[in-house]
Amino acid sequence: MAKATLENHAPEVVGSKQWSVGRLARIVTMVFVAALFVFPIIGFVAMAFRNQEDVAAGAGGFLGLGGMSFDNAAFSWSQIIGFGPNGGGLFLRWIGNSLIVSVGGALIAVAAAIPAGYALARLRFRFRRTILFITLLTMVMPNTVLVIPLFLEVSAAGAVGQLWPVIVIMGFFPFGVYLAYIHFMTTMPPELVEAARIDGLSEIAIFFQVATPISRQAIALVAFFSFVANWTNFFLPLALLTSNSQNKTVSIGIQELIGASPLFNPTVAAGLDVKLYMPQLALATFLSMLPLLAVFLGAQRFLMSGQTVGAVKG
Amino acid sequence: MTTDTLEAQRAASRPAAAAPTPGRRRRRARITEARGGWTLLAPYLLLLLVAGIIPILYALATSLQRSPTPLQPQAGFGGFDSFVTVFNDFRFFDSFFNIFKVMIVWLPIMLIGIVGLALLVHASRGRFGGIMRFIYYVPGALAGIANFVLWVYLLNPAQSPIGFLLQNGGFSTIKGVVSLDNLPFILAGMLFFQGIGTWIVIVNGGLNGIPEEIFEASSLDGANAWQVAWHVKLPMIRPWIGYAALMNLAYGFQLFLEPYLLDQVAGGSLPDQYTPTQLGFAFAFSNYNFPAAAAMSIILLVITLSIGLLIVFRSGLFGEEEK
Repeated sequence: MAKATLENHAPEVVGSKQWSVGRLARIVTMVFVAALFVFPIIGFVAMAFRNQEDVAAGAGGFLGLGGMSFDNAAFSWSQIIGFGPNGGGLFLRWIGNSLIVSVGGALIAVAAAIPAGYALARLRFRFRRTILFITLLTMVMPNTVLVIPLFLEVSAAGAVGQLWPVIVIMGFFPFGVYLAYIHFMTTMPPELVEAARIDGLSEIAIFFQVATPISRQAIALVAFFSFVANWTNFFLPLALLTSNSQNKTVSIGIQELIGASPLFNPTVAAGLDVKLYMPQLALATFLSMLPLLAVFLGAQRFLMSGQTVGAVKG
Repeated sequence: MTTDTLEAQRAASRPAAAAPTPGRRRRRARITEARGGWTLLAPYLLLLLVAGIIPILYALATSLQRSPTPLQPQAGFGGFDSFVTVFNDFRFFDSFFNIFKVMIVWLPIMLIGIVGLALLVHASRGRFGGIMRFIYYVPGALAGIANFVLWVYLLNPAQSPIGFLLQNGGFSTIKGVVSLDNLPFILAGMLFFQGIGTWIVIVNGGLNGIPEEIFEASSLDGANAWQVAWHVKLPMIRPWIGYAALMNLAYGFQLFLEPYLLDQVAGGSLPDQYTPTQLGFAFAFSNYNFPAAAAMSIILLVITLSIGLLIVFRSGLFGEEEK
């Protein structure tokens, strides 16, 4: 009984010498699950640095870690960058497109979500609750449900295959509005708004001069979550950009690489100068994840302190 | 929730602050405030209109059109024809049944995994628990296509770290592994791997919100760690479990990327329209039957909208203020 209390409440006891069966079982289970999660990822990253001959021969030892070298990665890169008409280079083009739509979408999302979240949290007007309700509802619905209707709309506007409609659509980010709403609800007392009004500031001026300076945390979180959602979005670019190979994002570009691999489509692959086996596909995927890693490291500080804010989103 | 208390405080302070001002000035102040609110909301509302409401209305209008045929090249009003087309399509009920098969494998594993691992992490305080939570979160960072390519690597018996298991199961090529019968299990594995991490963090956040005194009280009553987890923690995080179940259910109806790409990897040996979203995609991009594609997306919209309404009203996670 006393031990249970200690285990639950005093972090300093965790390193203690008391080992019960229950505790051992817990730690063994957790480490086992962690291994199940981590080994595939280690093996996959190792794959990006191996060569096809070793992979086919099953060489390289445990998870292929023994077969890793930068020479292999350099060769794989020459294959990836060689993909595409007129000497290749499509992969870099796709990365560039992904950067354009992800950053553009995130900028619009921040610019729209911060003032909207502030207005919903601290200003009173009719239909405020209705808009909050619509925001919550669109936030919990998977965004793929609207892709076909969005395609019909963009198609009617004659803009299929162009980047700008994708950017605008990605800028609609109700989760960001909810984040900003919670941020102003919890960090900005209503008295602050009242005081600014008494000082004679207009409503817009209050937002820019009082609310914006204290919303760095919300801006960082909205930008981060929006960027990640945009970068990994697959269905929207697939519906809107597939028709134009030059305007693809990297997520659907990798699909094109898979389709050109001799592993899955020998007939298409036979007509190509470059050979995209698993090491090349793994390297392309690994490289496409690096921007996500970068924004994660950049936003880590804000993510840690904002844990409670992000707690409701799946 | 804190939002409720803040709201209550504001409500309490409002009449006191407003009392000395004359009625007309107060009303003018309120109009200014409302005008400010709408101005600040304008960019968001514009996006909501362009990327949410207009496409839905346009899809609704399109679904009531008639699809042009060689005999009747002009589109026109077709009533519910497109819905009839969709319902009568032999793949329509199949695709929902497929989703059902995936869910029945995936949802129980997912929920047990989320709750079990979140409870284990919560029972492990200190650095060990923190490290484990981080490790469990890592696969979640591999969203979408990255998770898919990782699974292509895992499912290929020739090079997978679990290749010996697959070979013992009688599979020698990836095309053999990715068969129609195995699809629910493969999809369940993919969805589990990419989704579990975020949900552990979310449910763990719910567990951290339980006041310490409750654990102290149950320990004083003689409960051990298992009993605390089963009788105290589990009932307290029920709203979070319901939230996770509904969100994942809604997500399941939208399944697209994984079956779509698995078909490509299997050399086209899988059905092209395994899920409802794939069917809608096929109506739009293979048959160019936009009314049917629109009808399909309206049907899916109604389903996810209902689940969404359940989440907002029934999960108990959103404060009264937000409904």
